[in-house]
Amino acid sequence: MATATALKDDAPIATGDGYDPTVYHPVESPGGVEISIRNFNLWYGQSQALHNVSMEVQKGMVTSLIGPSGCGKSTLLRSLNRMNDLIDHLRVQGDVRLSGEPLFGPQVDVIALRKRMGMVFQKPNPFPMSIAENVTYPLKVDGVTNKKLLAEACESALKGAALWEEVKNRLNDSALGLSGGQQQRLCIARAIAGNPEVLLMDEPCSALDPIATMRIEQLIEELKSTYTIVIVTHNMQQAARVSDNTAFMYLGRLIEYGATKEVFTNPHSKRTEEYVTGRFG
Amino acid sequence: MVDMVSGEMNMNSKVSGVSAINRHKGSDLAARGEPMVWAMGGSLAFGLMMILGFLALIFWNGLTAFWPKPIEVVTMTDGRVIAGEPVRTESYKPTSADLASIPAEARAKIEANAGMSERTLYRIGNFDFYSNDFEWLPFFTVKSSAHPKDLMLVERSEWGVFIGKVESILVDGKTVSNPSLAQLDAADEQARDLRRQRQTIERDKVGAVNSAINAERLKVRKAELAYGEGSPEAKAAADAAAVETTRLTGDFDRLSAEALAMRAKEEAIRVKVAEIGGQEKDFPLANFVRYYAANDVSLFQKIGIYLSRWWEFLSTEPREANTEGGVWPAIFGTLVMTVVMSVLVAPFGVVGALYLREYAKQGTLVSLVRICVNNLAGVPSIVYGVFGLGFFAYVLGGSIDRTFFPEYLPNPTFGTGGLLWASLTLALLTVPVVIVSTEEALAAVPRSMREGSLACGASKWQTIKWIVLPRAMPGIMTGLILAMARGAGEVAPLMIVGVVKLAPQLPVDGVFPFIHLERSFMHLGFHIYDVGFQSRNSEAGRSMVFVTALVLLVLVLALNTVSINVRNRLKRKFAGDKF
Ligand SMILES: Nc1ncnc2c1ncn2[C@@H]1O[C@H](COP(=O)(O)OP(=O)(O)OP(=O)(O)O)[C@@H](O)[C@H]1O
Ligand SMILES: [Mg+2]
Repeated sequence: MATATALKDDAPIATGDGYDPTVYHPVESPGGVEISIRNFNLWYGQSQALHNVSMEVQKGMVTSLIGPSGCGKSTLLRSLNRMNDLIDHLRVQGDVRLSGEPLFGPQVDVIALRKRMGMVFQKPNPFPMSIAENVTYPLKVDGVTNKKLLAEACESALKGAALWEEVKNRLNDSALGLSGGQQQRLCIARAIAGNPEVLLMDEPCSALDPIATMRIEQLIEELKSTYTIVIVTHNMQQAARVSDNTAFMYLGRLIEYGATKEVFTNPHSKRTEEYVTGRFG
Repeated sequence: MVDMVSGEMNMNSKVSGVSAINRHKGSDLAARGEPMVWAMGGSLAFGLMMILGFLALIFWNGLTAFWPKPIEVVTMTDGRVIAGEPVRTESYKPTSADLASIPAEARAKIEANAGMSERTLYRIGNFDFYSNDFEWLPFFTVKSSAHPKDLMLVERSEWGVFIGKVESILVDGKTVSNPSLAQLDAADEQARDLRRQRQTIERDKVGAVNSAINAERLKVRKAELAYGEGSPEAKAAADAAAVETTRLTGDFDRLSAEALAMRAKEEAIRVKVAEIGGQEKDFPLANFVRYYAANDVSLFQKIGIYLSRWWEFLSTEPREANTEGGVWPAIFGTLVMTVVMSVLVAPFGVVGALYLREYAKQGTLVSLVRICVNNLAGVPSIVYGVFGLGFFAYVLGGSIDRTFFPEYLPNPTFGTGGLLWASLTLALLTVPVVIVSTEEALAAVPRSMREGSLACGASKWQTIKWIVLPRAMPGIMTGLILAMARGAGEVAPLMIVGVVKLAPQLPVDGVFPFIHLERSFMHLGFHIYDVGFQSRNSEAGRSMVFVTALVLLVLVLALNTVSINVRNRLKRKFAGDKF
């Protein structure tokens, strides 16, 4: 199993196309590595969206992905639970492993894989069903019909997503009647109801006001002890506040991956410095 | 540095270029698109006017058809007297032969009017006396007209309408001359009662015995087919059937005698009528369906007659080659066929579209299939009818008959046009509509929904079942509604695959298995065609055409309202959806 140290030993990995190699200085988790990505390339048809990305997501930590629009953050995140499979003419190359098991490959059970990862999307996407049905959807998928079990899972997931107090009296109302922030927390509840190992969040606060954003950030803080979290964000303060490690991407390349504090106060790469100080992006 | 300078120079020249263009200030008519708006509004108004005009025509003619009209007695210049309901008046050009036979001053008047005169169509009824139900009376032949109060209009179960006087009735062997309306009513009630009893015997009891006898015959035939003719089993069956048949035949004879006696009693109540010219006729009072003194009815009575005519129309079977009586079997047939069609077309269309949109690999083949499906919608419906008869009825139905109903052969059961085949044919006809709209509805389900479900670890089928299909349901319903409306109004293919002028039995009744999909049936659309263009006289059918069209319109409207309500209920479930 590749570890962060091993990567450091290998580093710098030459990308071979004139770009500087990725700079690594991540905080290492005592739990080890959850997801390891090695030399990952991805093409949408003819155009390459990810170039030789290598990084190791630390277990039980929050890793944030930052970078200018179109740099491939979502693409990378969606590769982790193979959401990109829906796209025609997509091609990938490289080795991605979740707790040591490969993600790509002919014999991978994509459904089992996705059950190990919850995903929260940029726009809240509650299903047109009741609040309770939304939360217990992952269990429904697993064929759970026991009412008591469902109710318990629903309650604990909603508590986990800090939504329980607000909706406990209207669990059977349509989820579409919730506010945007509540809907997003509902989606988080849905994502954790399936008891995943990893939470993937793609700009979860971009559609929310500052107060709702703060609640979600608090929530991430609380969830961090239970789940490994990968979060894409455009908000650098947010990345600085919630994450342990930060990966800066630029034009499909991973420029710097390191401890969040370092990345924002003392970036090792010039491009990162320009971006975090607001000189471009 | 040099680059910078040239860049700036470029910019300068660009700026001056912009200022050099003499921009048109303000906006002109064409730019704001006003003429386009007018044209669009105009064409919309034109379309609406045509539709409203059409609806108004149908509704007016349909709704007024049953209103009791007064009877006019017209004395003509040649001394002839005619009694009838005026139907409509139009201007026309009399022939020169007509003109030659009329007084000079009348002729002069017509000539002054560019040779045009007017004439009125009267419904004179009394087909048994005049061999004609309607007559045109030119204005110049009319000497005087009156509305005598003692004239009756009688709707009869034979020979159509009678207009004239009731001379006498014969009840319980006593003749009552010039009976009062009350006396007539009493006698009529008595005759009606007898008639009802007789019909119960004839229709229900005798019918049941008849079908039992037929069943015995079929048992024998079945045994013969199973064990061979002349085999002991067949012989035993034949013997058993013979015993049973003898008993049944006895029942039959007894019932027939009973019915005959009933009929004799019923026909002993007689009525003698005289038309306006004095010709008399004597017939059973039971022939009276409805009668009233047309010039002596109050508004309330008129409303009563109007409503009772509607009720008769909606609830009874047709009489007199469909020009009289009701259209209940046609309403029922249309309804059942449309429902069966919808039930058939929904799964086919939806499953087909699901496969095309969600599972099939999008490529040339799928595009080709899609083009074919779209083009199927343009095939003339009569072609579907021919296909339905050739394939469904003869090939499919024929093999069903040979397999399951060999004892009925050579009489076809499913091997001829019938409700099932008609519904299937229409389902085939409307399936493209459902496929296209379902595909659109599926495509319109937001990606975020599918992704949300897949991210929860749902399989593709689970996602489709729980997320995509419910979301697409309103759109699918819209397609079904369109298909249903199209199917309910379609006539041409039905004429080939199972619709008949007069169906002896409804497709749903109390006899096991209750829904008889193999039966031929009546249809409002075909009824319109039949009454309007195939009947003894098109004038009599004219009002029926409008009334039937009105009923068909209302039926389609009702079906659509129901399904639109269902769709809206589904839509409301998704209200508040912000994506
Ligand atoms: N389905 C697709 N087909 C083709 N190209 C795509 C597709 N999705 C993304 N891309 C391209 O891949 C690149 C990376 O896109 P991606 O969505 O990952 O960017 P991002 O970093 O998430 O940007 P943003 O911050 O705006 O969300 C972009 O150039 C984009 O145009
Ligand atoms: Mg993105």
